Amino acid sequence: MKPETRRIAGFGVAALLTWLVGYPLLITLMEALGLPRGLSLDHFAEFARRPDEWQALWRSLWISAASVALAGAVGIPLAFVFARTEFPGRRILGALVALPVALPPLVGVIAFLFLYGESGFVSRGIQSLLGLQQAPWRLSGPAAILLVHAYSMYVYFYLFTRAGLARLDVAMLEASASLGAGRVATLFRVTLPLLLPALVGASLLTFMTSLASFSAPYIFGGGFRVMTTQIVASKLNGELSMAQVETVTLAILAFAGLWAMRRIDPGRSVVVGGTRGVAPSRRVLRRPLVRAGAATLGWGLALLLLLPHLTLLLISFVPPGTWTVEALPPVLDTSNYESLISTPERLRPVVNSVWMAIAATVGAVVLGLAAARLSLKLRGRLGGALETLLSIPWAVPGTVFAISLATAFSVHAPAMGRIVLVGTPWILPLAYLVRSLPVTGRSSLAGLRQLDPAVEEASASLGAGRWRTWKRVTLPLLRPAVAAGASLAFITALGDFVTSIVLYTYDTRPISIEILSSLRLQETGVAAVYGVLLMAVSATAFLVWGREERI
Amino acid sequence: MPPFLTLTALDKSFGDQTVLEDLSLEVAEGEVLVLLGPSGSGKTTLLRMIAGFERPDAGSIVVAAEEVTSQPPEKRNFGMVFQHYALFPHLSVEQNVAFGLESRRVPKDEIKRRVAELLPLVDLEGFEKRRVHEISGGQQQRVALARALAPDPRLLLLDEPLSNLDPTLRERTRRQLRRAIQQIGITALWVTHEQEEAFDVGDRVALLNEGRLQQVGSPEELYLEPESRFVASFVGRASSLPGVMADDGRVLIGDNRFQGRGVRWPGVPSESFAPGDEVELMLRPQGLSLAKRAAGEALEGTVMDRRYAGEATYYLVELEIGGELLVAGLPGATQVGARVGVIPRPEISTARIFGRSSGDGS
Repeated sequence: MKPETRRIAGFGVAALLTWLVGYPLLITLMEALGLPRGLSLDHFAEFARRPDEWQALWRSLWISAASVALAGAVGIPLAFVFARTEFPGRRILGALVALPVALPPLVGVIAFLFLYGESGFVSRGIQSLLGLQQAPWRLSGPAAILLVHAYSMYVYFYLFTRAGLARLDVAMLEASASLGAGRVATLFRVTLPLLLPALVGASLLTFMTSLASFSAPYIFGGGFRVMTTQIVASKLNGELSMAQVETVTLAILAFAGLWAMRRIDPGRSVVVGGTRGVAPSRRVLRRPLVRAGAATLGWGLALLLLLPHLTLLLISFVPPGTWTVEALPPVLDTSNYESLISTPERLRPVVNSVWMAIAATVGAVVLGLAAARLSLKLRGRLGGALETLLSIPWAVPGTVFAISLATAFSVHAPAMGRIVLVGTPWILPLAYLVRSLPVTGRSSLAGLRQLDPAVEEASASLGAGRWRTWKRVTLPLLRPAVAAGASLAFITALGDFVTSIVLYTYDTRPISIEILSSLRLQETGVAAVYGVLLMAVSATAFLVWGREERI
Repeated sequence: MPPFLTLTALDKSFGDQTVLEDLSLEVAEGEVLVLLGPSGSGKTTLLRMIAGFERPDAGSIVVAAEEVTSQPPEKRNFGMVFQHYALFPHLSVEQNVAFGLESRRVPKDEIKRRVAELLPLVDLEGFEKRRVHEISGGQQQRVALARALAPDPRLLLLDEPLSNLDPTLRERTRRQLRRAIQQIGITALWVTHEQEEAFDVGDRVALLNEGRLQQVGSPEELYLEPESRFVASFVGRASSLPGVMADDGRVLIGDNRFQGRGVRWPGVPSESFAPGDEVELMLRPQGLSLAKRAAGEALEGTVMDRRYAGEATYYLVELEIGGELLVAGLPGATQVGARVGVIPRPEISTARIFGRSSGDGS
C-alpha cells in the first residue's frame, strides 16, 4: 500500500471508530449539558442535589474497593498455591479455577442464586438440617454483591499473580537466601515488591470491572443501588437527562481508572542482565500427609469455586414444579432441554444471540484487525489515535455505552451522523461489536507486534505480491491471536446482559433477557438450561482458543 | 594447614539421571578454585550444592571445620554471584549491595560505611542511586559481586559470572573480578565452561565431566600432565594417534613391519604399559613441527586446512596412514594442499600415552 493510500485508509478507519466509539459518548455528554438547546449545568446541579445519587456513587466506590480486597484475598494465595506447589490434579484445577473469567456475569449470578439464594441448595440444606421455618438468610444487598464479585473477580488476581510469579527469576529468590534472608523476609522484601506491578494491575482491573458490574447489583441489589443500576432505573423511570448525567459521571470515573492503568508500566522489567532466568520450580510435596492435605485444599477450593456452575447444571435437569420443599430435587430429567428445542418461542433467543454474536464478532475482527494493522504501520499521532479508540470501550462500563448508543441512535439526523437504530435488529449487534473491539483489536495488535517484519520481507523477496503475502504468510501467523480475540468477543456478545437490557426489543431478545424473564416466571429449570448453554459455549471457546489471550 | 572447604563423596541425581558421582575435593583458604567442564558436567549443580540450593543425596560439605551439608542457604554466609546476576530490579545499586547487610540486621551507619567501601573496589563510585537496569552489563556484574561480598562471606561462589557479557567486555570484567577477589583474599569457587577463563583466574582448576571429577591441578599441570584422554582433549588443542607400545618405551605408529611407513614417537605414559599394548598418543600442536617428507621419524600427509590464530598458525595435516594431526607452525611454513612430513619436537615433551580402552573418561 502506498503511504498516501495508507494514510487515507487510516483516516477512514479512525473516522469510523470515532463514529462508533467516541461520538455516542460525546452526544451523551452534550445532551447532559443541555446542548443543543443551550449550555447549562442544571442536570448536574439536580444530580448533586439528590442524596440518592451521592449514595449510589459512594456505594459504587466502596463496593469496588471492597471487591478488590476480597478478590485479592482469594486470588493471591490461590496463585501462590498453584504456582509453587505440586499436587495431584494441579494442572487441570489450575486451568479450571481461571474459568469464571470467561463465563458471562449473569450466568455466575444466577448460579449463585441457585446455590446460596433463599431457595438454593445451601440454604435449603441448612434449613432442613436445623429444622428452620424459613430460609436462614436472604441473598441480597451489598453482602450478596460482594460475594459474587469476590467469586468472579478473584480470577484477575489469580492470573496476574501467576503470570508475575512465572516471570520471577528463581535466582532472585536464591540471591536473597544467599544474602541471609529467610523465607518470610524474601517474600516481603523480594517477591511481593517484584509482584507489585502485577498486583496493582489486578487491583485496578478488579476495581473497574466492579465499577461497571451490573448483573450482580441488578439481581441482588434490591433497594441497594449502585451507579450502573441507578442509570438503568433512571432510564426506565423516563428521567433520560438524569440517566445521561449519571452516565457521564460513571464514564469520568472509568476514564480516571484507565488513565491510572496507563500510568503503570506493564513492561517494568523483572529481568536484569540479558537473558531471563528460570521460574522457581514447584515444591514437590513429599510427605504423604502434607501432599494429601495440599491436594484436599486445592481440590476443595476449586470445588467451592466451581460449585455454583455445577448447581446450575443440576437445576437444568429439574422439571418444572417438581421441587418444592425437599432438600434435594426429587426428580431429574431432560424435559427442560426438550422444551427448549421443541418450543420455537424458547429457541428464538438462542437463535437471536447466536446470529447477533456472530455478526458482531465478524465485524469486530475485521475492524479490529484493520485498525491494528494501520495503527502499527502509520505510527505517529494517527496510529496512536487508532489504538486509543480501540481501547476506549474496554474502559467504559457497558451501561454507559448502552445509554450512549441509545441516545445517539434514536434520532434521525443523517447530516449529523445520527440515524435511528434503536428498536431495529441492528442496534444490539452494533453494541456488541463496539464492546468487542478492544478484545479483537488488542489481540490483533499483540499478534502483529510479535510478527517478525522480516518474514513479510522474505515473502516479498521470494516474489509473492502483497495479497499473496497477506494470505500465505501474515494471516496464518496471526491466526492464533485473531482466533483467541474472536472467541472472547463471541462469548462476550453471546452472554451480554448489561447492554442488552437497555437496547433489546422483544423480537431481538437475547438469551440473557430470556433468562431474566424465565426467572420472573419462576421457570428456574429453563433459566438454568439457558445458563448451561452459555456456560458450555463459553467454556469451550475459552479452553480451545482463549489460551493466548488469558488477560 | 587443614583445608578450608572439604567436599566428601558427594552424590546427586535428578530422577534416574546421575548428575554428580562420588565427588571429593579440598580447597585451601584464600584459594581461587575454578570448576571447569562442558555443559551438563555437573559443575553448576556442585556449586549450587555448596551454596545450599540443592541437597546432596549423599556425602558431606564442611567449611572451616563446620558441617553445612543440610544448612539452609541463608544460614551459610556464602556470597554468590549468579549467571544472570539476579540483581533486584526494584532496588537501586546501593540498596542491592546493602540487602545482605540488612538481612543480618547490621546497623545503618555500618551498612553505609560498608557500601562506601565496596563500590570503589568494583569501580562503581557514583552509581549508588542508579537503578540496576540503568547500568551496563559489566557494571551489573560488578554490582552483583559487591552485593555478594558486602556481608563479608566466608566463601565466594561465582556461577559462570562472565557468560552474559560480550567478548571484549568479558576480558576486562574478568580482570576486575580477579583483582577484587585477590584484594580481599577470599576463598572462591568459580564455575566456567571456558578453558581460557579457567586458566586465567584459577589458582587451581577442577575439571569435571559427566558428574565425575577428572583432574584437579594448576593450569600447567592440566595442560602438560593430563591424567586422561578427556582432560588432554578438553584442555587446549590436541590430536591423537593410535599405536602400539614398542620395547624402547616409545609408541609405534603406523605399521612398519609390512609397509615400512611406521614411526616411533616418544611420549609420557599415563600408567605403566608393556610392549605390545595398544595405546593412544595425545599430541599438542606445539609439540609437533612440519618437516621435509623424507625425514627419519616423519609421518607423511597433506595439509588440508590452515588457521591463523595470531600467536601461531595451525595446520591440519591428513596423514597417509589415516588420521589427522594439528601442527603449530610459522604463518608461511607451508600451504594448503602441500604434501608435508610431521615430526615430534623433542625439546617439548607434551605427548602423553593413554591406554586405548581405559581412561578416556567418556
